[in-house]
Amino acid sequence: MPDLLLYLKSMGAAAIVSSIFVLTMARSRRQASTSWWNSVCVVGVGLGLAVGFYVLSLRFSLPPVNALDRLLLIVVPVGLSIEFLAGFPRVPRWAAWLFRLSLAAAIPRILLHSSVYLSGSAGEWSLWQAVAVMAVCSTLLAGVWSLLARLSRGSGGVAISLALCLTILCAGLTVMLAGYIGGGSAAFPMAGALLATTIGARYGMRQISVPTGSLPAAVPGTGVVCLFGLLFVGCFFGRLSGESALVMLLAPLLCWVAEIPLMRHRKAWLVTVLRLALVAILLAVVLVMAKRRFDRDMAPLLGKAQVSEYNLCYWNRLSQHGRGPC
Amino acid sequence: MRQFISAWAMALAIGTVVIVGGESASAADEYDYDLVHSSVSFKARHLDISWIHGRFNEVSGKFSLDREDPSKSTFELTIKADSVDTANKARDEHLRQPDYFDTKQYPNIEFKSTSTKAIKDGYEVTGDFTMHGTTKKVTLVLMGGKEHDFKKVKRVAFSTELSLKRSDYGFDKKAIGPIGDAALIMIDCEGVRD
Repeated sequence: MPDLLLYLKSMGAAAIVSSIFVLTMARSRRQASTSWWNSVCVVGVGLGLAVGFYVLSLRFSLPPVNALDRLLLIVVPVGLSIEFLAGFPRVPRWAAWLFRLSLAAAIPRILLHSSVYLSGSAGEWSLWQAVAVMAVCSTLLAGVWSLLARLSRGSGGVAISLALCLTILCAGLTVMLAGYIGGGSAAFPMAGALLATTIGARYGMRQISVPTGSLPAAVPGTGVVCLFGLLFVGCFFGRLSGESALVMLLAPLLCWVAEIPLMRHRKAWLVTVLRLALVAILLAVVLVMAKRRFDRDMAPLLGKAQVSEYNLCYWNRLSQHGRGPC
Repeated sequence: MRQFISAWAMALAIGTVVIVGGESASAADEYDYDLVHSSVSFKARHLDISWIHGRFNEVSGKFSLDREDPSKSTFELTIKADSVDTANKARDEHLRQPDYFDTKQYPNIEFKSTSTKAIKDGYEVTGDFTMHGTTKKVTLVLMGGKEHDFKKVKRVAFSTELSLKRSDYGFDKKAIGPIGDAALIMIDCEGVRD
């Protein structure tokens, strides 16, 4: 059963650990390079996720046996490692993108491993269908990742990271509303760790000469991997609809709207607010639709919808030891 | 002459071994699971006050019964987890999700016997029971086993019950919620052969 307090605790724990680490690093080295900050962000997010998942008491199996295990034990750690490596000045940009694109290509295959989709069983995908679906998903991930990375190199880093936090939270809630509680709950530590690292890093980086609002690529990079993984698992193993998953994956790209000439040279905070507002509006629509679907499909399982007035009267009388007709 | 007799004796001996061996191999009767006259159902506690009943609609299996040497009998059963049916479509969809059966990851629930012994009115069968990706040894007491010939089709039937804890099979305890951890699986199956 959903335990909102536990989810908030795990989110808070992830945020506290990430922020403490990032702020401690900020105090220890005031004139640090962006590559150093990139490494700090990767470790900050990683520590936050570890503590958040511990508080959430998610069950992991070693070796990983299901898609969520593979997401949290393989995909996210590999994503963090790639972002860690990509931040070093000696690693050429093309090599960093080669790693990222390789991961983007591998994620669908990793998450679908040993599932019915790849077993060739009757009623599921043929080999070509499986290859086509994985290729489309990988292309989508690579496209979103590269577009967000390009935007985050300028002043959009903080806005993108915050938009990713919002989208990850929305993805988690939508996956839960579709009936996969365990999968959706993983979103809370992810959002907490990313949010705290974003704020902490931005605070720490105010003393180095980078554009206002920029952030190391590690934060949005990790966010995109987490978001894609959640949506993929929710869609192919839970009952999250493909349309909702696609809309949520593309939602952070609305941050690009602020790049139009009319908005581009406005004050940084205004541009950030506009970006977040656009993403939030779209996510609110997705969430409302998911809630409606939940009310239609799942709420009757909770029993309330099927309790007749007679039954209510009967139970009220019983609880109050009352008498008289219903 | 002596060589001829020894060769003849050897051929006789080999022939006897082959025939006897062949007979012993064919002594086990092979039955296919009859989906029409069988059922695999289950019940689990709800809020610890009542029971929810359900069944699996797609089941396959086969068993071979060796009446002379029951230890050579084997039993196999494969249940399609996706075919779960609790008479409520929304609940069935929920049960297929990763919080419960995770049918996209673990499409089958399987039982494969590893040893069998005859008991009064049936068989005691020990085997590997795999559910939700976890395999555990279980012992089933199969009651029945008498063969009936109905319209030239030979039928044999067994009934058994298996009590288990879902948490032993990797189900998330947090997701178990109002549905109890303990579940009872009831198997009534008929096997057919020509």
